Amino acid sequence: MSENPQAPFYEMSFNVLAAWQAHSLSTAGSNGSNRVMPRRQLLADKSETDACSGNIAKHHHAALVAAYFAAEGNPLCPACRVGDGRRAAALVDRPEYGNLSFERIVCECALCDTHGFLVTAKNADSETSTGARQKISKETLIDFSYALALPERHAETSQLHTRNGASKEEGQMLMKIPARSGEYALCIRYRCVGIGADTEQWLLYVKDQALREKRHRAVLRALRDTLVSPDGAQVATMLPHLTRLSGAIVVRTGVGRAPLYSALDSNFVTCLQAMADETCQVYPFETIDAFYRLMNIFIATSVPALHPLWKTSQSSNEEGRDDTGATRG
Amino acid sequence: MTQGQQGAEQQSSRVWIAADYHFPSTYSCRIPMSSANCASVMPAPGPATVRLALIRVGIELFGVDIVRQELFPILCSVTVRIRPPERVAISQQQIRGYKWSEARHKRETIQESIIVREMAHAAGPMTVFLQIPQDAGHRMHRLLQAVPYWGQSSSLTSCLGVMSTAPLLEECALPLDLLDDTAPLRPYFTCPVTEFHANRLSWEDIAPGGKMPKTSALRCDIYVWPMVTEYRHGTQKLLVRAPFSWKAQ
Repeated sequence: MSENPQAPFYEMSFNVLAAWQAHSLSTAGSNGSNRVMPRRQLLADKSETDACSGNIAKHHHAALVAAYFAAEGNPLCPACRVGDGRRAAALVDRPEYGNLSFERIVCECALCDTHGFLVTAKNADSETSTGARQKISKETLIDFSYALALPERHAETSQLHTRNGASKEEGQMLMKIPARSGEYALCIRYRCVGIGADTEQWLLYVKDQALREKRHRAVLRALRDTLVSPDGAQVATMLPHLTRLSGAIVVRTGVGRAPLYSALDSNFVTCLQAMADETCQVYPFETIDAFYRLMNIFIATSVPALHPLWKTSQSSNEEGRDDTGATRG
Repeated sequence: MTQGQQGAEQQSSRVWIAADYHFPSTYSCRIPMSSANCASVMPAPGPATVRLALIRVGIELFGVDIVRQELFPILCSVTVRIRPPERVAISQQQIRGYKWSEARHKRETIQESIIVREMAHAAGPMTVFLQIPQDAGHRMHRLLQAVPYWGQSSSLTSCLGVMSTAPLLEECALPLDLLDDTAPLRPYFTCPVTEFHANRLSWEDIAPGGKMPKTSALRCDIYVWPMVTEYRHGTQKLLVRAPFSWKAQ
């Protein structure tokens, strides 16, 4: 990696085994009782295991990356600046965003660009004299799987907590909150190539590669932090102890997929290494600090790849330029 | 040459290819017509989901023009067969749903509700079989290798390999009209599945980019999956692949 300071990444996958102790990161609610339920998933081997939904990890990443975007001068739309989960959809009623387009959203907001957005279609309403609206959307570039505990490697203790009611009359109430510990298999996929682009039609809108690189670096920093500083439900009083992080990061440098393999299979790193080829590189790591160092190298040296279709159109544009640099009509 | 001879010739120049897919985590392929707020899932994606995924990947690999002109007619007409994973465990998960609603007085409110969605976990690969024209083999091979997910983007998948193999029909999900009238459906898992209206589809009906597939572009068929329930506990169930004991028509 260090020999290639501008390594283009098309796609990355993170296949990790993370050990979290005494956490309650993702729960299934209380079902109206005074007991918070842990999230459970039946596995295909008939064992029931502990689970944390990918939604919570994604929310955490979005909050982290918004801060990195702001710190590094990447643009954010007014909705993302204040953490409005609707993202671009929150802008439709603002007069200054009357003519909202895909290009404008992607160019003016790095968070909408990387985490996706959905502006729903709407029929015209004669009563409120509003016009029809076309659907505008972009899929997220970062996908999180459920974190699933290894069936033999998780445990749960029910802890009794006191909680104050909403009013004085409600008094104090007893709550049972599970403290869970285990080793969790987690997969994340990051499509670096999609930064600044429409990933349905594969059209590039953010054409300045330096801007794309800035967004890519912020996404990687936030991914690093998401894994080394876990966040989710109940962290105010039950911040998890992270005691292990191992696995493999897979980098696809050309068009195609970076393979994913679940750490529920103990041979997952070997399986991933067997899939390596000249455009698919596998970087195993055994410890938290090894992962951190690896991520820092990626942050310093990688850039989001250009799709071959964009390279072709760029080179044909360059061929079409005259001596003054203007594009021929 | 008669139409029948042409059809037979086209059929004879078609070959089967198969791709194995690993599900690295849980996934959720919703049964059509089940409520989005209480979604039941099938053990693997249906044929329309497979075709749509291949169209989407095709645009990424080859660009819109090649897909529209060359691959779309093939992807609409190929026969798709799906062999589900060996074992699929299904659990109900409760998740929070948020909806912003705009009152008449322009005051926005946020509504929170509990959404129930089944999530599946699989052991063993799922196999997708396509019967394709012989000369489309190279492109189809690349398409199958690059599928990133089925249906929703959190249903991650990874292709393990592509080979030239014909399906064993008794191990694949089949529409009711391919089954013998007297074949018993119980105890096999049965559900509605979406499929393309192959005869009257245009690119505009399906094309990604702003519009969902029009409902008239898809039809709903009843499919029988070669899977039986081995275990059930509360809302959890475990389906195990069990080849059909009867022959398909």
